[in-house]
Amino acid sequence: MAITVRIQTHSSSETQTELKTLEPILKTENLWKLYHTGKVEVPALCGVNFDVLPGESVAVMGPSGCGKSSLLYVIGGLARASRGKVYVDGNDLSMMTDAERTKLRRHKIGFVFQRFNLLPALTARGNIAIAQYIHGDGFDPHRFDVVTHLLGLEGRLHHRPSEMSGGEQQRVAIARAIINEPKILLADEPTGNLDTKNSEIVLEMLRRLNKDLGQTVVMITHNPEATAYFDRVVHMRDGVIVDGIPAD
Amino acid sequence: MMSQFVLSNLFHRPVRTLIGVLAVAVEVALVIVIVGLTSGMLQETAKRIEGIGADIMVQAPSAQMFLVMSGSPMPIKIGEKLQEQKYVQAVAPAFLQFNTTGGVETIWGIDPESFRDVSNGFVFLQGHDLEGPEDMLIDDWEAKAKKLKVGDTFKLLDHDWHIVGMVEYGKAGRIFVPIRTLQDLVGAREKATLFLVKCTRPEHTGDVIAEIKQLLPNYPVRPVKEFMTLMTSTNIPALETFIHSMIALAVSVGLLVIFLTMYTTVLERTRDIGVLKSLGASKLLIVRALLTETALLCFLGVATGIGLSYLVRAGFLAAFPTLSILITPGWILRAALIALVGAIVGATYPAWLASRKDAVQALSYD
Repeated sequence: MAITVRIQTHSSSETQTELKTLEPILKTENLWKLYHTGKVEVPALCGVNFDVLPGESVAVMGPSGCGKSSLLYVIGGLARASRGKVYVDGNDLSMMTDAERTKLRRHKIGFVFQRFNLLPALTARGNIAIAQYIHGDGFDPHRFDVVTHLLGLEGRLHHRPSEMSGGEQQRVAIARAIINEPKILLADEPTGNLDTKNSEIVLEMLRRLNKDLGQTVVMITHNPEATAYFDRVVHMRDGVIVDGIPAD
Repeated sequence: MMSQFVLSNLFHRPVRTLIGVLAVAVEVALVIVIVGLTSGMLQETAKRIEGIGADIMVQAPSAQMFLVMSGSPMPIKIGEKLQEQKYVQAVAPAFLQFNTTGGVETIWGIDPESFRDVSNGFVFLQGHDLEGPEDMLIDDWEAKAKKLKVGDTFKLLDHDWHIVGMVEYGKAGRIFVPIRTLQDLVGAREKATLFLVKCTRPEHTGDVIAEIKQLLPNYPVRPVKEFMTLMTSTNIPALETFIHSMIALAVSVGLLVIFLTMYTTVLERTRDIGVLKSLGASKLLIVRALLTETALLCFLGVATGIGLSYLVRAGFLAAFPTLSILITPGWILRAALIALVGAIVGATYPAWLASRKDAVQALSYD
C-alpha cells in the first residue's frame, strides 16, 4: 500500500512543499513466526503489520521475548515467516527460496548486531572488505574510504577485533553493514554492549547515516533514550505491534 | 579477499593449523617412506643381481623372486645338468640364508671358483677371495655399516667367521661365505637356492632359457637383465597388499585428523558462519572457503611431509647404512594427491554442515 507524505524542498529563494506518494521499502502483512520446541508451538510474531518508508528511521521497542529480534530476522530474510507476507523493496520474501533470500540480503540489507559479530581472524579492513567481496562487485576503494572516514575508522583499520574497544568494533560493524549501500540497515540492540558514551556515538552515527545519506534504518532497542535519535518508535508486546508513535 | 580470509583463518589458530599440517605431513611421509623403503630394497637387490654379470637365474618351482624371502632349495646336482646345456659357459650355485640377528641381511653361500666364472670375479678393495671354510667376504657398505675390516672375526648364525676380503659394492649380496659351510650350518647339505648361468654369448640367452625350461619345467628361469624390471612390488606376493594397507592406514589417519580439525573449526566458527550468512554469503561460498582452507593446510602438510620423508630417510640411513630408500618424484606426487583427496574428503562433511547451518541459530551461538 502506498503512503502519501509531505516533502519540503529548499531552493535559494523559496521553500516549496509538495505531496509525494511513496511505496514502503519494508512492509509486513499479518506476519507470523512460530518456533517449535518439541511438540510445542511457540509464537514469536502474531500477525504483525508494519511499514517502513524509504529514508525513514524506526526504533522498535518492547520487553524481552516480545518478538523484536524475530521481527528483525524475518524482515532481514535470515528466518522464514511461518505465515503472512514480507516485502523488501517490492520483493516478497515469503515466496523466495533460501538462495533467493540470501541474494536479496547480499544486495539490499545490512545488519548490525548487539555483540558486534566481527570475524575475529580478520582486521577491521578485512571485516569491511569481506562484505564487498560477498556483494560481488569487488573492492571499491572510494566507497571504502568514504565509509571508514564517516565512521572515524581510518586509524584502526589494521587492528583485529580483539585489539579494539566495543565502540570501535561496533563502528566497524556499521561500516561493514553499509559498505554495499543497502536499502535497509537493520540494527539489533547495537548499543546493548556499549557504555553510555559509545552508545551515544553509535546512535549519532546511525542518525547521520539516516539524515545525511538517507539510509533507511530499523533498530531494535531496550533503551528509551535511544529512541530520541529516530523518526518513529514502534512498541511491541507478545508478538504484536501495539502502537506506532511519532518520536516528536 | 578469499585468500586473505582463508590465510587469516589458518593463522588465527596456529596450534590447530600445526596439528592439521603435521597430520598431513605424517600421512605423506608414511606413504613416501614405506613405498621408498620397499621399492628401494627391491631396486637395490635387483641392481646387485644384475651386477653379478650372469645371464640367467634359475630358481626352485615355488621360489619367490624377492630372494631374501626365498626358502626353496633345490638339489645342487641340477647345476651339473645345466652345465651340459648348449651355449652354457658356466653355472654357479648359490645358497641364500636370511639372517635377522644383529641386523637384516642375506648371506650368500657361494662356490668361489664357479661364482668367479659366471661373474668375472669380485673387485677387491682389501684382502683376498674365500679360501678356507670359515672365511667371509663383505662389501664396503657392510664394512661401513658394521664397522668391520679385513682380519676381524664376525659372529653370524652363531658361528665365528674370519673376514678375509672386502669387495666393491654391487655384486649379488653384501656377505659371502663358502656354500658348503653355510649348507652345513642350516642343515641343507647339497642344496642350492638358485643357479646363476653364464652363456657363451649373451645373444644365446633366449635359446638357453628355452632349453632349461624344457629340462626343468615349472622352474622359474629368468634372464638376469630383466630382473630390474621384474623386481616390482606387483611381482612380490603380499608386498602390493602391504603397501596398499600402509597407504590406506596413512590416508585414514590423515582423513580423520582433517575431519576432526575441520569439524571443530566449523563448531568454533558457528557464529562467524552466521555472520557470513547475514552478509549474504551463499552456501557455495562457505563450502569453498572451508575447502580452500583445507587445501591450503594440505599443501603446507605435503611440503612438510616431503621434508619429513627426507629427514626420516637420512635418519634411517644413519642408523642402518645398508638400507636403501628410494624417494621418487612419481611417488611424491602420488602421496601429495592421496593426501589432498583424503583431506578434501575429510573436510567435505564439516563444510556441508557449515553451509547448512541456520543463520539465526548460528548468530546466537555461544
